[in-house]
Amino acid sequence: MKDDLSSAGPQLYTPMSPFDTDLPIQAAQSASFGSHLDQSKELSTDFSSVDLSFLPDDLNQENGEQTRLEDGHEMQREQYRSQSTEQDSGFLNDSNLSQLSYADATQPSPETSGACPPLTPMTPITPMTPVSESSGIVPQLQNIVSTVNLACKLDLKNIALHARNAEYNPKRFAAVIMRIREPRTTALIFSSGKMVCTGAKSEEQSRLAARKYARVVQKLGFPAKFLDFKIQNMVGSCDVRFPIRLEGLVLTHQQFSSYEPELFPGLIYRMVKPRIVLLIFVSGKVVLTGAKERSEIYEAFENIYPILKGFKKAS
Amino acid sequence: MSGQKKCPDCGSSEIVEDAHYAQNQLVCADCGFILTEGLLTTTFQDEEHLQEVTYSRSTGQNEQLSRCKLRGIKRVQDLCKVLYLPAVFEDTALSYFQRAIEHPSFHLVSLEKKEILVGCCVFVTCRQHNWPLTMGTICSLLYAEKELFASVYLCVLKELELDVPALSLTDLVKTHLNSFKLFQSSASVPAKFAEDKEKMVARTIQIVELASETWLVTGRHPVPIVTAAAYLAWQSLQPAGRLTCTFPRFCKLAGTDLPPPAHLRLKELNDVLLRMASQLAWLRVLNVDKKTVVKHIGDLLQHRHFLLRSSFSSGDTEDQSATAAGDGSESSPQAAGGSAQAEGRHPGGKQKCSSVRRPLLPPCLINPRKRLRTAALSPSDQAITGDEAISDSEIEQYLRSQEEMREFSKAQAWH
Repeated sequence: MKDDLSSAGPQLYTPMSPFDTDLPIQAAQSASFGSHLDQSKELSTDFSSVDLSFLPDDLNQENGEQTRLEDGHEMQREQYRSQSTEQDSGFLNDSNLSQLSYADATQPSPETSGACPPLTPMTPITPMTPVSESSGIVPQLQNIVSTVNLACKLDLKNIALHARNAEYNPKRFAAVIMRIREPRTTALIFSSGKMVCTGAKSEEQSRLAARKYARVVQKLGFPAKFLDFKIQNMVGSCDVRFPIRLEGLVLTHQQFSSYEPELFPGLIYRMVKPRIVLLIFVSGKVVLTGAKERSEIYEAFENIYPILKGFKKAS
Repeated sequence: MSGQKKCPDCGSSEIVEDAHYAQNQLVCADCGFILTEGLLTTTFQDEEHLQEVTYSRSTGQNEQLSRCKLRGIKRVQDLCKVLYLPAVFEDTALSYFQRAIEHPSFHLVSLEKKEILVGCCVFVTCRQHNWPLTMGTICSLLYAEKELFASVYLCVLKELELDVPALSLTDLVKTHLNSFKLFQSSASVPAKFAEDKEKMVARTIQIVELASETWLVTGRHPVPIVTAAAYLAWQSLQPAGRLTCTFPRFCKLAGTDLPPPAHLRLKELNDVLLRMASQLAWLRVLNVDKKTVVKHIGDLLQHRHFLLRSSFSSGDTEDQSATAAGDGSESSPQAAGGSAQAEGRHPGGKQKCSSVRRPLLPPCLINPRKRLRTAALSPSDQAITGDEAISDSEIEQYLRSQEEMREFSKAQAWH
């Protein structure tokens, strides 16, 4: 799986700053955008914030380890999202950008790459051991928390009276708790018009659920809109299938880990890049939380997997 | 000389100011009691009490600190005294406390939390110096709730950016056993129950290390493990008279608490010891069971490295763990008896073999709790775009009809 992407051709080392806007690759990207993004509301031509780490291997010869890692999780991303490249035209953000263009640029193209900048990450990352293969395990998303602004003042008592699926106890909490069956989610609706939606298993489900809640509020007679929908937190979990010596892990990664068996049976690992908190348990189960995007969860797991594997042998 | 002075010894009011080698002294004329010697600084209050003034009081240092801080500082000092901590610890704890109390997240919290903050600072200091202090101890000293202590502790670590090394179990054993009242025979402790401290500590440490190697320690509360290990160590040092003493009775004798998880730890430790016993040649013939394995703990510990290797297969056999889990837990009492036969069948029945050599895994993997696993998103769920049309009928199912609303408001009439 890995071998076809790594090319053995001669590499040019031209130190250029990453995300330079006059890269020939970027021209190819903007061409491919034309067809996909008819429905997009906004198209920024400034790609300085785009994550270009998905670019094929021959550009990043200097960072062999780095790109193998990224190749690993982008392969999983591709498998997971292969049917969804057309989706989500409603909003354009960084994760969309990288996935949309990846669909086109699957093959390495040495011809187009005249100048090959090494894309070295500038921010400090967690200590990495050389990765020879991706883990083959994909974390499963368990919960998505999102917020949206309905942009109108709401009468919570009225809503609690008119809606079957609402509960409102002002002495306990100052919001209506509403639930729908499909997608199975819960929403907290505040009198200011802001709403929090929790319990969805994917970003799209969360958005659909939030729209349904907004619809319910509309049907109750309020002029609800659907503004500033944003995913605030994503939680994923997976199983590495071997036991982990937490005492050893806290010794070698002390600056990132906190293991207090008196407080909590798991080890709390605060990864710097990406900024994710992982709960690691002795059984090998790992919970990842704090992500704003799915890719952060995958990346965090790919970062932690070699570290955990190192502890498997030691036991 | 003021007329109010009275001699504390004999009560006479005849106080004379005398000079002893140019050092001024106030002396009682009747009994010769020296009231004061060579005061350098005084405050008005102290002239009455005739006492020296401490540095912190005379320099006005305390006036600069708020009452809350002063109280906190005193509490830190008291706590350090109660725990018999070295003086260095007190200074460190004080500095942490003063940094923390300035921090906005601790400045305006409840009194209860400020009290817990004091405990946290002392706790962090101890842990940083590898002084084995458990949260349970601090919580019981401060009468604090464990959950609240946990949240304040994590907050302190984050705000002050402190690093705390892991709790060393060996040190914890020594400290915990120090509080046991078993080391001298007394009215409550008969002679045959009293035990030599060094031997008991050494053996308990060995048992705790054994537990650590067999995954019984990771992720678990440390104190119950130490208690269970101490019980086994104590029993094994003189099995003759002590086998009949139960775990709760042992804890009462020792004057320590019996934490609820300790029973489970004891069971797990016994299970490990039994497996090891089944591999020792001279124990196989004795048909050891969980009651009598205690007698042989000394031997088992002596050869523990070899026994661990031979009684547990390496952790790679994940697929075997499922079969082993089923077999191992049922046949462990018979393991010792059945092992002789199992050896003969070793080339043959793989099933029987795996029941003798269980993989070395944590108990949560050996006996996994049956849990409802949430299925991954089905293909239809995966295809959701988030922008589908929402039918009116679907939304209407969530709205009440007029009649329902009337019923509901009637039911809620008293609200």
